[in-house]
Amino acid sequence: MPTLVEILARVSFLAAMPAVLGVMVTAGLLVVSRDWRVNVLALAAQYFFVVLLLTRQIRLEVAAVKGLIGWMICTVFYLTERQASTFERSAVAEDESPAQRRRWIMSTRVASCLLAALLIAVVAYTAALRFPLPELPSDITLACYLLAGLGLLLIGLSGTPLQVGLGLLTFLSGFDLFYVALEPSLAVAGLLGAVSFIIALAMAYLRIAQLAAGGDEEEA
Amino acid sequence: MIEGLFLLLTLPLVMAGVVYVLRRWASLSALLATCTALILGIALLVLPLEQSVLSLGERQINIDGNVTFLGRELVMEQTDRLAMAFLFLTAAGLFFLAWRFVPRSLLFPVGLSMLSLLSGALLIRPLIYAILLIEIAAALSIFALQAERQPPTRGGLHYLTLTTLALPGLLVIHWLMERYALTPDDKGLLNTSAILLLFSFTLLLSVVPFHVWAPAVGGGKRDGSNPLAGAFVLTIGNGAIWFLLLNFLEAYPGLYRYPRLSSLVSNAGLAMVIVGGLLASAQRRLGRLMGYGALIDTGGALIALGMNSKAGLTLLFLSLLMRPLGLILVAAGLSGLQARNGGDDHLDELQGLSREAPWSTAALIFGALSVAGLPASAGFVWRWALYRALSPSSPVPALFLLLAGMGVMIGLWRALSVLLSRPQVSEESEDVPKEGLLTAVVVAVSIAACVGIGLFPQPLAPLATRLAEMYTFGGW
Repeated sequence: MPTLVEILARVSFLAAMPAVLGVMVTAGLLVVSRDWRVNVLALAAQYFFVVLLLTRQIRLEVAAVKGLIGWMICTVFYLTERQASTFERSAVAEDESPAQRRRWIMSTRVASCLLAALLIAVVAYTAALRFPLPELPSDITLACYLLAGLGLLLIGLSGTPLQVGLGLLTFLSGFDLFYVALEPSLAVAGLLGAVSFIIALAMAYLRIAQLAAGGDEEEA
Repeated sequence: MIEGLFLLLTLPLVMAGVVYVLRRWASLSALLATCTALILGIALLVLPLEQSVLSLGERQINIDGNVTFLGRELVMEQTDRLAMAFLFLTAAGLFFLAWRFVPRSLLFPVGLSMLSLLSGALLIRPLIYAILLIEIAAALSIFALQAERQPPTRGGLHYLTLTTLALPGLLVIHWLMERYALTPDDKGLLNTSAILLLFSFTLLLSVVPFHVWAPAVGGGKRDGSNPLAGAFVLTIGNGAIWFLLLNFLEAYPGLYRYPRLSSLVSNAGLAMVIVGGLLASAQRRLGRLMGYGALIDTGGALIALGMNSKAGLTLLFLSLLMRPLGLILVAAGLSGLQARNGGDDHLDELQGLSREAPWSTAALIFGALSVAGLPASAGFVWRWALYRALSPSSPVPALFLLLAGMGVMIGLWRALSVLLSRPQVSEESEDVPKEGLLTAVVVAVSIAACVGIGLFPQPLAPLATRLAEMYTFGGW
C-alpha cells in the first residue's frame, strides 16, 4: 500500500493551476454552502490542494504532516456537526414549514454569496497581477489571495462558530502557503498547525455550547 | 542543574492539568490555581537571577537569564521578569475573586495554561514564536470565555478573529526587518513594516473601529461571555500584547522612529477615549460598560505612548499596573449579579439586586469608580499623572479623557439607580445561595487593595519608572 508521501508524489502533476482552481472551487463552496457535510468535504479537499501547492515549496514530508493536521481538523468538525445534527433532526421533523421557507431564503443567500465570492476571485486575480508576493510563483500567489479573501468573506458573512471557524482556517491556509516560502522552519510549521487545530477545537466547543443553550443561531 | 526558566513556564501548565482534574472540588481547584499564580508571581519578584535558588539533593534550580530550548532562545531580561510577575500576580487576584463568584468555571485551568503561553511569548526569541504563542492563547481563551448555558460567546469569536487577522502582519514584519537590516537603503521595507505594525496592533489592542470584541467579552446573555474571563483577556491578555508591542519596538527601534507614528498612536488613543466615553455613558448593559471602560484605559495608554517621552512610557506602565484592580472588581461584581438573574446583564433585569447581592454590588461600584478614574481609586493614580503631563502641551486629549471618565460614571449612576431600587420578585434567584462571609471577606480585601493603592500608590509607581527605564527604543 502506498504511503501518503508516495500518493502526494504521484499526484504532484496537479500542483500548479489545477490545484489553484481546486482551491478556488472548494473555498467558493465553503462560502456558498451551509450544509455541514458539503463544508467538511470541501475543507478536506481544500487541504489536499493546499498540500499539493505546498509540495512545491517545502519538503514533501512536512507538507504531508500539514495535510494530516488539516484532515484531523475536518474530523473534529465532522464529529461535532454529526452530533449536532442528531440533536437538531428531531426539532426539524416536528415542523416542515420552516424548512420550506428556508429553501426560498437560502436561494437568495446562495446567489448573493456566489456573487460576493466571484467578486473576491476577481479582486484576488487582479491583486496577484499587481502585487505579486515575494518568493512565490504567480499561481501560488493567486491561491494565497483567493484563500485569504474568501476566508475573510466567510468570516464576514456569518456569525456561527462553524462558519467563522472555516473562514479562519481558510484564511490561515492562504497565509501558511505564503509564509512557508519566507520561513520554512519546522517549529513555525508546527506552531501554525497547532494554532489551526486549537481554533478548530474552540469552534467545536462553541458549537456544542450553542446546542446546550438550545439555540441554532441563523446566519446573516 | 535544573533550569528554573523551564519550571516557570511548565509549572502553570502542569497545574492547569491538576486543577482541571480537581474541578469537582471547586474551592480546592480555585485556591490551587490562586496559590500557583501567587507563588510564581512572588518568586519572579524576589528570586535572584543567575544564582542557585533551590537545591534538590545534588541538583540545583537556577533561574538563568538565557536558555536554549529545542533550538529556540528563551531570554529573561529584567523587563520580562517584571512583566511576568505582573501577569502572574494579576491572575492570582483574579482567581481569588473567581473562587467566590465562578468556582466551577474553566477559567482556572485555561487561565493557568494561558499564563504559561503568554509568559513563553515574553521570553522566546525571535518574536515570530511569541506571536504564535499569543495566538494559541487567544484560541484557548474561548474555552474560558464561554459562559455556561449561554449562546456562543460573540466577544470570544471576535477576539479570536481579530487576533488571527493580526498574525500575518506581525510574522511578516520579522522577515521584512531582517531584509531591511541587510539593505538599509530600501526604505520601502521599513514603510511596509511600520504599516503592518500599526495595522496588526490596531487589531490586537481593539483600537476603534476594531473594538467590537472588547465590550462583548464583558458578559451578558446576548454576548454569552463569562465576565471574569473577559477581565482576564482585557487585563492579562491585553498586558501581554502591550509588552509584545514594546518588545517589537525594542527589537526594531527604526519602527518607533517612523515619521508621524507618535501622532498616529495619539490619535488612535484619542478616538478610543471618545468612542469609549460616549458609548459607556449610553450603556444599559453592565458587561459592555466594563468593556468600554477598558477601551478608554487602552486609549489613555496609547495617548501616553504617543507622548514620545520617558514620562509617557512610565504612565503607560502605570496604567497597565493599575487597570486590573478596577476591571477585575467590576467583573466579579457583575458575575455575582448575573448569577442571580439567569445571566442577564441588562439594567432592566437587575432591579433591586443590591439587597440580594450587596457584596457583588459593592465590588461593581468600587471597580467602576476605579475604571472611571475617580479620586481615591487605583484608576485615578495614572489618570491624574496623565492629565498633569498632557495639560501644558495638549490639553484636548486630557479633557476628553476626563469626559470619558464621566461617561463611565454616568453608566454607573444609571446602574446604581436600578440596583438600589425596590427589588423585583425573581424566581431564578431562589436557587442561588446568599453571599456568605467568605465572599464578603474576599470582596472587602479586594476593595481595600483597590482603594489602598489609590491612596498610597508609592509601591507601584517606582516599578513603572523602573520598567520605563529599561526600554531604550525611544532614545530618550
